[in-house]
Amino acid sequence: CKSKFEKLKASNDNAKKYQEAMKYYNKKEYTKALDLFDGLTQRYRGQTEAEDLFYYNAYTNYKLKDYTSARYHFKNFADTYPNSARAEECRFMAAYCYYLDSPIFSLDQENTLKAIETLQLFINLYPKSERVAEASKLIQNLRDKLEEKAYANAKLYLTIGDFQSAVIAFGNALRDYPDTKYAEEMEFLTIRAQYKYAKASTDYRQEERFGQAMSFYDQFAEKYPQSKYLHEALVIKQDSEYGIKRAKALIAEAAIDPKLAKKLAKKDTVKTQPPSEKGNGNTKMP
Amino acid sequence: PRSQASLTRSIPTDSLSYLNPKDYIIGGITVSGAQYLDKDVLIQISKLNKGDRINLPGEASSSVIRNLWQQGLFDDVQLNVTKINADTIYFDIAVLERPHLSRLHLLGIRKGEVEDIQKKLSDKTGKIVNENLLNTTTAIIKKHFNEKGFLNTTVDIKQRKDPGDANSVILDVTIDKHQKVKINEVIFEGNKAFKAAALKKFLPKTRQRKFYNIFGSKKFKQDQYEEDKQALVEKMQAKGYRDAAIVSDSVWKHDEESVNVKIKVYEGPKYYFGKVNWSGNAKYPTSLLTRILRVKKGDVFSEEELNKRLSGPTPSGDDVSSLYLNDGYLTYQADAVQTRIYNDTVDLDIRIYEGPQYTINRVLLKGNDVTNDKVVMREIRTKPGQKFSKELVMRSTREISQLGNFDEQKTEPKPTNINPQDGTVDILYNVVEKPSDQIELSGGFGGGQLVGTLGLTFNNFSLRNIFHLKAYRPLPKGDGQKLSLRGQANGKNYQNYSFTFSDPWFGGKKPIYFALTAYTQLSSTGQYYAKDNPLYNYLRIIGAGVTLGKKLTWPDNYFQLNYSLNVDHYNLDNYTGYIFSNGTSYNIKLTQELSRNSLDAPIFPTSGSNIKFTVQATPPYSLFNNTNYKIATPEERYRFVEYHKWKFDAQWFTRVAGKFVIMSQVRFGFLGSYNKDVGQSPFERFKLGGDGMQTYQFLQGSDIIGLRGYKNFSIIPVGTNYTADTNPGSTIYNKYTIELRHPVIASQSATIFLLAFAEGGNVWNDFSQFNPFNVRRSTGIGARIFLPIFGLLGLDYGYGFDKIPGIPDANKGQFHFSIAQSLSGGFN
Repeated sequence: CKSKFEKLKASNDNAKKYQEAMKYYNKKEYTKALDLFDGLTQRYRGQTEAEDLFYYNAYTNYKLKDYTSARYHFKNFADTYPNSARAEECRFMAAYCYYLDSPIFSLDQENTLKAIETLQLFINLYPKSERVAEASKLIQNLRDKLEEKAYANAKLYLTIGDFQSAVIAFGNALRDYPDTKYAEEMEFLTIRAQYKYAKASTDYRQEERFGQAMSFYDQFAEKYPQSKYLHEALVIKQDSEYGIKRAKALIAEAAIDPKLAKKLAKKDTVKTQPPSEKGNGNTKMP
Repeated sequence: PRSQASLTRSIPTDSLSYLNPKDYIIGGITVSGAQYLDKDVLIQISKLNKGDRINLPGEASSSVIRNLWQQGLFDDVQLNVTKINADTIYFDIAVLERPHLSRLHLLGIRKGEVEDIQKKLSDKTGKIVNENLLNTTTAIIKKHFNEKGFLNTTVDIKQRKDPGDANSVILDVTIDKHQKVKINEVIFEGNKAFKAAALKKFLPKTRQRKFYNIFGSKKFKQDQYEEDKQALVEKMQAKGYRDAAIVSDSVWKHDEESVNVKIKVYEGPKYYFGKVNWSGNAKYPTSLLTRILRVKKGDVFSEEELNKRLSGPTPSGDDVSSLYLNDGYLTYQADAVQTRIYNDTVDLDIRIYEGPQYTINRVLLKGNDVTNDKVVMREIRTKPGQKFSKELVMRSTREISQLGNFDEQKTEPKPTNINPQDGTVDILYNVVEKPSDQIELSGGFGGGQLVGTLGLTFNNFSLRNIFHLKAYRPLPKGDGQKLSLRGQANGKNYQNYSFTFSDPWFGGKKPIYFALTAYTQLSSTGQYYAKDNPLYNYLRIIGAGVTLGKKLTWPDNYFQLNYSLNVDHYNLDNYTGYIFSNGTSYNIKLTQELSRNSLDAPIFPTSGSNIKFTVQATPPYSLFNNTNYKIATPEERYRFVEYHKWKFDAQWFTRVAGKFVIMSQVRFGFLGSYNKDVGQSPFERFKLGGDGMQTYQFLQGSDIIGLRGYKNFSIIPVGTNYTADTNPGSTIYNKYTIELRHPVIASQSATIFLLAFAEGGNVWNDFSQFNPFNVRRSTGIGARIFLPIFGLLGLDYGYGFDKIPGIPDANKGQFHFSIAQSLSGGFN
């Protein structure tokens, strides 16, 4: 007692199947349409109907939100029928499927990079297309995502207290995306991270590291004289100046007080390299 | 198969020359040989357009053939030039069509095998049927069965026309596996220093049929045999026979189902290490390197061992490469050159290339399609600005896999973007997500009745997205939080519902573990008896708790400190067989737990230890509540229970010979009271014996401790006369276990190991009687099976040696079934 659909699927009447598949497509019953299209694409290869079939098959996948398959079929169409009137549309759709498969910034951005690449390729192939404006807009959205990722991951180091790493990561993010909307905030956070890094350092390294924080401030103040962070940054600069004074005085005192010198040498709270697990092997419990 | 295609010249040869390509205008294209296919479409696919310019001979003509060939519709494609008229050229595309495959029937084998083979063949429907298709099909099937030891498999393919489709054929593939081929005997020749038995051990996968070869396959498999031969030579060389080689080998048929294998080896002399010279080392002195290398003059020469100690990897990182690689020298290389060989001695010159000391610039993560960056990034110990360290890379990898969201085998760290100029390197962590949610759905016996359980655990939950509908996949995921819901019920008789939420980085700033739990339990005979019936009883517990935990960096970074506050509310009505039977109780306790866990794996640890010290205490109500405990009724006495409880658990894992691992374990617990008049708490006592499963006995907040070889809870203090069912638990216990384990399967999809154990434990109610060496003993064997979605299942058979007075069937042979114990360093 097979249903009518099952019978149709099992039959060898390809012409009937093709007709019915198109009917299902137009009635928006995409699951059934796809079921029939799947068997037909193989059969109609090299025949006139194939062009329509490939086109609608790609759209069926697209409507079913299977963007990975849709992308493949759209690209396949454009590669097979480069002279077709629909080739441009399919190239765009293939790139757009990548765009739809691009996840939020905090996940792996492989599809985002692929989407940018394919959209750019579309613009290069069809520079006069009316879809170029939209493709450019999509590329901008995707770039925003990458910028947000770089910003968030650098900021994470600051949040969890790895200040030196934060300074380096902010620097890398600013180098990768110089015109990002996060630039001002990241440059300010670099000052803060450098200050905290210096403050947690051994007294002997503080002058140099606070000095770096102050030089970050000077660059920031010059670049963003109207910044809303300027006041806070200035406070950090003043704290850094004070920190240098304090460290200098302490070291001067230590020069004549061997006890203090010993204490200072011990205090090394910032370890660029955490103690090796193997290094303290003799204190290790079984 | 025929050649793919050709550009033939049916016109004077001098007009087309590779030395002199020329531009032509296409005057026309015809197609010949096409029977079922549309000629216009073929021309379109060929991308030849009438009127276009074409450079011949050249790239254009071959791309025509490639385009057509890619359709997979033809057995042959040719592009012929039919006519050249001045600048105009005429083409003919000659194709040879072949029928398509409409169906493939596999005959002569079981249904399961059909599915396996179909997977390997992949779907060939619609492909053209030619010699190539038939050959590859035969080869794939034969290979499939050869790998399983069926060396004599025959494949017969018959073609017939598909009645429903003119241009299609059906293939009937008849397979005859014949008998499996096993190895009758392995014979060695030319061996003097090595005994044949020793050499046979060097062939781990080529084993002869003998009654003592119980484990492992005795089948003959060609590819494994080739691997084994290589292993044989390497093993001989590792024993100092530097020149060892296989002179010849042969495999011949012994009878219908077995073969003999003969290997002729050349041993050569045994070599020893001579002088070892170092050069190129600037960072570390030769004396230190020599000490790490541990090669003395006169030691048996082994290139394998030498390379291992120079370049790793060694399990404890005790090699020269670790010294350099953990200190930023990423491009370290060592080359051991054999400078002089005299008699049986080999002198070495070890040339070291140190390279620059590298600093980490970027840390990158790829493959996290579900889990958010921060969940992984915050666990990674290699951070920008640090010196490169292989050890920290490995540790980060291990901690990423401990998150439980990623495939452990596929978590791969990779240094990329190595920049020797400024000495920086990026580290890329490649991860592959795996399903980490667990479903527990089971039925089992508890208290003599059937109990159904439904449990759901979401290991990668995201609380902040709970009102964010877009993030549901099918639940909000990706923040590494854990949500578990569990219900266990047996009608109205016994019910238990619990809820747990935990976050490993509470607040997101520091690795502070936070957990919130709530549960309710009910045990009642209310469905059978009316309230005034003496058999009626009722107990309900409602509890909630909060835990905060922190990883410590001192004394070392394996330590963890946890605090938790729990409130349990007990409501008892005629709950007989217990220290008090009516009333309401509150158990408000603060727990501190200090633990150190350095196990190398959660399921089958082979090294490391797990130690836990727990103190649990309630406020001392009797100091300030004005109750006269000397005359108090149970209701008054137990309204607010008071006690202090101390527990110590420790287990060590040590690898002994081969894959054998010994687990030794010590456990101790003590429950004390603040005030003699109040007496010992009826809650939180220790119950010893049996499988150690947390069943309905947990109603009294008891600590259930397993002791295999004895009935559940049957261990009672000497001189008491409880039965296993009425045992209220004791206030002191200790237990020792020694377990020998051996893995059977250790893969991503399942872990199975066998074990043999000896253990002993006992309980007391008073320290005056406590004697840690007076234990009830048992031995036995068992197995554990870990399946990712079910957790750990265990079955043990134990034999208890010591009689329990008053419980005649408590000891002797006992079977124990357990779920999810001893996982992630749990104790049992």
